[in-house]
Amino acid sequence: MIVSLQSLSFVSHGKMVLSDITTFISDRALTCLVGPNGAGKTTLLRILGGELRATSGAFLIDGSDASAFSQKEVARHFSIIPQDVQPPPHFTVFELVALGRFHPSRRTLWWQLSESEHDAVRSYLARCQVEQLSKRRVEELSGGEQQRAWLAFGLAQEKRFLLLDETLDGLDILAKQSFFKLLKELAAEGKGVLLTTHDLDLVTQFADRVIVLNGGRVSYEGSPNTNLQYLFSPTSG
Amino acid sequence: MRRFLIVTGALVLILVLGVLIGVALGPVKLGADQLLSAILMRGDASAHVLVWDLRMPRVVAALLVGTCLGVSGCLLQSSTRNPLGDPQLFGLGGGAAVVQALAMAGLLRTGTWGLIALSIVASLIGAGAIALFASRQGISPARLALIGVSLSALAAAVATGILAEARVFSQQSLSFIGGSFANRGWADVVPALPFFGIGLVLALPAMGKLNALALGDRVAANLGAEPKRTRAIAIAASGILGGAAVAVAGLVGFVGLLIPHLARLLVGHDIRAILVISIPLGAAVTLFADQAARLLFLPSEVPVGLVTALVGAPLMIYVARRVL
Repeated sequence: MIVSLQSLSFVSHGKMVLSDITTFISDRALTCLVGPNGAGKTTLLRILGGELRATSGAFLIDGSDASAFSQKEVARHFSIIPQDVQPPPHFTVFELVALGRFHPSRRTLWWQLSESEHDAVRSYLARCQVEQLSKRRVEELSGGEQQRAWLAFGLAQEKRFLLLDETLDGLDILAKQSFFKLLKELAAEGKGVLLTTHDLDLVTQFADRVIVLNGGRVSYEGSPNTNLQYLFSPTSG
Repeated sequence: MRRFLIVTGALVLILVLGVLIGVALGPVKLGADQLLSAILMRGDASAHVLVWDLRMPRVVAALLVGTCLGVSGCLLQSSTRNPLGDPQLFGLGGGAAVVQALAMAGLLRTGTWGLIALSIVASLIGAGAIALFASRQGISPARLALIGVSLSALAAAVATGILAEARVFSQQSLSFIGGSFANRGWADVVPALPFFGIGLVLALPAMGKLNALALGDRVAANLGAEPKRTRAIAIAASGILGGAAVAVAGLVGFVGLLIPHLARLLVGHDIRAILVISIPLGAAVTLFADQAARLLFLPSEVPVGLVTALVGAPLMIYVARRVL
């Protein structure tokens, strides 16, 4: 499955935030979206999540034009963990991940999860190595543990793509490394993972593909084995 | 689920006890056989009037108002992610209070139905303001609470000003400001029932989505929980229920604020469980508070809000220290 962006632009308050973005994101790959602050990374993720509509251009999901889809329709393909996500007050890790099973047409949440739903939640907790923390409150966990809990929440939605917006900010290097490793494994298992980050060393080490945004434009896309630092400079685009 | 059923069962028993106290005790003593006959509508006329026309409407009013306030607070707290959500504190009851004050001052002449409808419209205006602010991206719970408290203070000042200007003092204004069920008859309760029903019917289908709102608007939208729509419905339902409560009993404080927190302690934090348990819990707390207000100071009585504040304040401090 491939999500392709074709000449996508986004204008906000008269300012061009994204300009003529043409690229793609595929499943079974860890794609990292990098670029300086204000480059348009979060805006691009919000367009992919259906929160914002592109001013022009198209974005296709497996060949179908998704530009006109409602947020609900777009959201069927993407789990989003936003940059400023706050742990819900009082929720345990299990309850958070169980909420990933929420579907508006269904009447039940974790209150009456079926045995198979319970098993699914447990398997995602185990996959993200937070099973032993399942009864702890999310707000009491360390930053790294919280991010793993959110990742399990994203996985529990069982969508093809995971969009993670600078979720690693504030973590120590070991936690980041282990998180990247987990994302790489998930991509290898079939998920399409798109992560915005500033950790260029880890991007080089783990990403399958990198997209560099600079001033709202794609200044580079392809293998991470290149001088990414250089690509950040304003003159390189 | 087991815990939820146990708590529900216990609350139902407590409610039955409260109703029995409400109809059995008072300045006029009734024997057990007289009471039973009156309840079964077989007793003498005076016992029948005492139970069915004087005491029962008051009991039903307390149950109704307690339910309205409990559910209203729960809806506000969950939809705005704000532990301070309370119809009184957020100014929803304020609009209804102004309408009631106008009526008490003789400046608004309308029947009970009209008065309740106007109270609810006024409460919905407050709800609209809160919904507008709450839907703004990035508004903090503290700022929302400050806006709510300001709206509430403004409405309280206007209502008090109206009462003072019209020289409505003493017992009547005290009953209104402190909240009271004294002398409530079926004519006061029945017109509130349809609005109570509308509020609940609006609120209950939104319950599942309210859980997702706890994750923040962006994640909730990604889950398909339509945060803006869900919040608007929840706050509108809260406004209807909060307005109905003020129309029946005046400003009964603390119930809307306290009940959702107590419910969370009892049944966990699935909003659906909290909301459902807020119905018997709000009803029970308000009913027992009214029995205390009515019976502990015989032959006179105190505003029910005084009892809910006396009991609610230490409980709220306990909850705040333990949970928040």
